[in-house]
Amino acid sequence: MNGMSCSMLVFMLASGAPVAAGAGGARLSAREMLEKVDDLYRGNSSYGKMTMKVVTGHWTREMKIEGWSKGKQKSLMRILSPRKEKGTTTLKSGNNIWNYLPKVKRVIKVPSSMMGGSWMGSHFTNDDLIKESRMSDDYDFKTTFEGKRNGEDVVDITCTPKPEAAVVWGKLVVTVRTSDMQPLAVLYYDEDLELARTMTFSEIKEMSGRRIPTVMKMVPADKPAEYTMFRYNEIKFDVPLKDDIFSLRSLQR
Amino acid sequence: MNTLRIGWRSIWRNKRRTAITAAAVALNTAILIVSYGLMDGMIVDTVHSVTNMLTGDAQLHAPGYRADRSFYKSVQNVDQVLLAARQAGIDASPRSYGYGLVSVGHKSAGARFWGIDPRLERKVFGLAGQMSAGEFISERREAAGDSETVGRDIVLGRKLAKSLHAVVGSEIVAVVQAGDGSLGNELFTVKGVLKSVGEEVDRAAAIIDKRDFEDLFVSKGRIHEVAFNAHGRLTPEQVVAALKPATAGMELFSWKQLLPALADMVNMFDAAIWIFGMIFFLAAGLGVMNTMLMATYERMREFGMLKAMGATPWRIIRDVSAEALMLALFSTAIGLAIGIGADVYFHAWGIDLSGLGGDVVFSGIAFNPIWRATITTTGVIAPVVVMWLVCLLAALWPASKAARLDPVRAINHV
Repeated sequence: MNGMSCSMLVFMLASGAPVAAGAGGARLSAREMLEKVDDLYRGNSSYGKMTMKVVTGHWTREMKIEGWSKGKQKSLMRILSPRKEKGTTTLKSGNNIWNYLPKVKRVIKVPSSMMGGSWMGSHFTNDDLIKESRMSDDYDFKTTFEGKRNGEDVVDITCTPKPEAAVVWGKLVVTVRTSDMQPLAVLYYDEDLELARTMTFSEIKEMSGRRIPTVMKMVPADKPAEYTMFRYNEIKFDVPLKDDIFSLRSLQR
Repeated sequence: MNTLRIGWRSIWRNKRRTAITAAAVALNTAILIVSYGLMDGMIVDTVHSVTNMLTGDAQLHAPGYRADRSFYKSVQNVDQVLLAARQAGIDASPRSYGYGLVSVGHKSAGARFWGIDPRLERKVFGLAGQMSAGEFISERREAAGDSETVGRDIVLGRKLAKSLHAVVGSEIVAVVQAGDGSLGNELFTVKGVLKSVGEEVDRAAAIIDKRDFEDLFVSKGRIHEVAFNAHGRLTPEQVVAALKPATAGMELFSWKQLLPALADMVNMFDAAIWIFGMIFFLAAGLGVMNTMLMATYERMREFGMLKAMGATPWRIIRDVSAEALMLALFSTAIGLAIGIGADVYFHAWGIDLSGLGGDVVFSGIAFNPIWRATITTTGVIAPVVVMWLVCLLAALWPASKAARLDPVRAINHV
């Protein structure tokens, strides 16, 4: 995942010690804030149901998806609706992605040349699913704004990739609300430092004992009228899952 | 006639010198004829490849389609366009394009899908004849009732098939983002694999029937390109002019505009043959001039005597020119025979360029690896006639020198 888009998109991608919720009003360092954002949706394993709404200039559609994840490396997502795609399943294992297509009953591997392609028609790429990085590890960061914006106390943390980090972005700007340390937005800049896309977070609710933003919206900078919106309907952390859920065999079930 | 006969006899007074000059002029003429034939052959073959295989004389796209190849920028009023083409006697093939993924077993690759009308594509263009294995797709077989059991055929570009390890009969899974945002997927059977016809096609083409394309891409009949072929009855510019009224608001371009690098190459060939020709004419002309200078110099006393007997300068010029002309006629006749002989050989057998390694591809268009000469009236006559003029011009200086001789001094010249 690039920055945290993916842990947001597919909460199940990564593990790591879940951060105790409710850091509250205590004053946190930039690193602590980033770590909190990094770990927002992480657990040893997880299960969830979500709705993905994709709006483009040519069509609008909504998909219901359920997903499982274990560790950093493994995840499985299955489309529940609409009917045409029902049962279409994406398996991520390490750096590889496979799709199972129930209509033709075949599994296909997404080739490296298509990693930049859209995942299920959304504004996320296949790369977003597999690229993993932690902002607090792979980026140098500093606080670039602190104060009130739209009536809320916020902090902007600007992250620039470390020279050796395998990330595609030139810069990230993370906006965190200081009152409860919830992320509000992440701006993604490309290598020319042009704004490439904006992710915003909203509807912070408590799910499975954690306060998390339940809605994420990704807007591509070159098409401001388009977006992909994720809404978590259900999420459970640290659920017991067997490894063989994440196998090519189970993909076809 | 007498003058010519005298000229003919005069040039053979020095047999060796005339034979050498004649050989040079003949060789130059022959080389010019053959090189024109080969250059023209290259141009004709290029234009033929472009206009008859895939690109056509002209193509129609929606505004901006060629820049971003957006699935949603489709040609409007296709039926009207096709009608206008039919009325103008121009064949047309509508095509739809979309991007997606093709997969065989564990191999997968990105592909550009072509939705075509197999009957039209076969009739209008020669792609169907460019198979390295199997056959081109035919019209979709309709099974009674159940559309799911219909055999769906696909033809792959050469490099795409290679990267997928696909052969005729392989099962292909196609996965695409359909026009309504849904995930289109379908099974196909490889019916054939194309020969190398150009980089883009080789690497990415996955050609399917237009109805399969509509199912896969939920394309609602979108057409992204109409390719026109007048089969040589009209020039590309005439094709564009004929279709302009029916295609207002859309991008209609001749192949020369679509493939400017290739058009430049054709123009460059034309220029090259001229430069090439000039050098050869100059060489031949200097040879003839030298011969005629020698011939007049060694006969100075003869010309002096003629003038003393009352020959006018014009008479001298005429005699010397007649000699040059006879030399030219004789040499070009030999050159013509050799040139046509070589042309016929290169037309029939050609030069096999495949030994140079790899495919002969330029500007994304693959060429016939056998380079053949064409034989045209212009290509044969022009070098001969120009050579006559060059010989006559080359003789003018020696002739005028001889004509201006002072009889007394010339007769006494040692």
